[in-house]
Amino acid sequence: MATIDVPQKGGFSFDLCRRNEMLVSKGLRSPSFLKTGTTIVGLIFKDGVILGADTRATEGPIVADKNCEKIHYMAPNIYCCGAGTAADTEAVTDMVSSQLKLHRYHTGRESRVVTSLTLLKSHLFSYQGHVSAALVLGGVDVTGPHLHTIYPHGSTDTLPYATMGSGSLAAMAMFESKYREGMSKDEGIKLVADAILSGVFNDLGSGSNVDICVITKGNTEYLRNHLSPNPRTYPQKGYSFSKKTEVLLTKITPLREIVQVIEGGDAMEE
Amino acid sequence: MEDSKKIAHEIGGVRNDAFRFGLHGVKSDIVGSHPLESAYHSTKARQQEMKRKILANTYGSAFPMKLELDRQILSRFQRPPGAIPSSMIGLESLTGGLEDFAFEDYLNDPKESESFRPVDMHHGVEVRLGLSKGPVCPSFI
Repeated sequence: MATIDVPQKGGFSFDLCRRNEMLVSKGLRSPSFLKTGTTIVGLIFKDGVILGADTRATEGPIVADKNCEKIHYMAPNIYCCGAGTAADTEAVTDMVSSQLKLHRYHTGRESRVVTSLTLLKSHLFSYQGHVSAALVLGGVDVTGPHLHTIYPHGSTDTLPYATMGSGSLAAMAMFESKYREGMSKDEGIKLVADAILSGVFNDLGSGSNVDICVITKGNTEYLRNHLSPNPRTYPQKGYSFSKKTEVLLTKITPLREIVQVIEGGDAMEE
Repeated sequence: MEDSKKIAHEIGGVRNDAFRFGLHGVKSDIVGSHPLESAYHSTKARQQEMKRKILANTYGSAFPMKLELDRQILSRFQRPPGAIPSSMIGLESLTGGLEDFAFEDYLNDPKESESFRPVDMHHGVEVRLGLSKGPVCPSFI
């Protein structure tokens, strides 16, 4: 009996690599790499983990989005900040969060932070740095609070406080001077906000608002736009139009009913 | 195995399509077109081999052999070739693919390819019975 092939699956195709290589060698200019900028941080406090991120997305010298989200959901008790190529960080965190969900369905237990760490690092390592995602992963599970950093090539660190992205140096300076063990929640949020703010004001790749995520045992608090130190000066509250610019019809005429529903009759047999 | 499922784009053993393969060269035949390509194609086989060795060391060599038999049986258990592809749920539950979610599940789906050709049922069955040559699915991705 002949062997039967299993159905084909998609994934990456390397078909066009040789063509692109040839075109480049013939003198076509390939699009240059864009510098990315971000400040993402995380720290462990008394009861859990606090993650923080700025909200500026850059496209080379252009600010593409002034209020983007960089703290991604992984599991109810695990969140992940992403720096690097925005599409890569989102795709990787979404994919791993789907894997964690499937794993939770399978085992019926809360996800552990090390599980997501291993999934992320093995994925990033297998793509040898071509998936450019630098991540700060934080969460609280049965074994307590955990904070990890993951580099694009798949190496990881386990730290009490961590920073990533182009503003990591400015943010780390704040942590190095002010961090201590056993901080309270308010102190922790204050320090994380300070670290992000120093990234926002000292690094050109970071800016706009401060997002914070506080994860404690059995509770997650996502503070979107915790601080907005760079408000828009003009116009303050959108545009106001004069009255009667457009009079909209407010009366709604229902559509003719095509199918007549007849109530009653014999009940359907089970 | 991976490559045999696709139709070869070469005529007379020479890769003539310069747009797809670039100009012919010995180095690119050996190395591949991208630094990731060889790793991408070999990773899965290597991981399976490693898993098999671990199982053999832990439970004895009979266990992975039995698993391999199950895998072969389940990979043959498919719908007749046609509009609906087999879901391979039995095979995926054996290999652990049910719990996995990766690029091949949502990127570059062969059914959405611009060169997709619907499967001819008669040809597909003939291939399965060994009466006809070639891959069941004639489209390439």
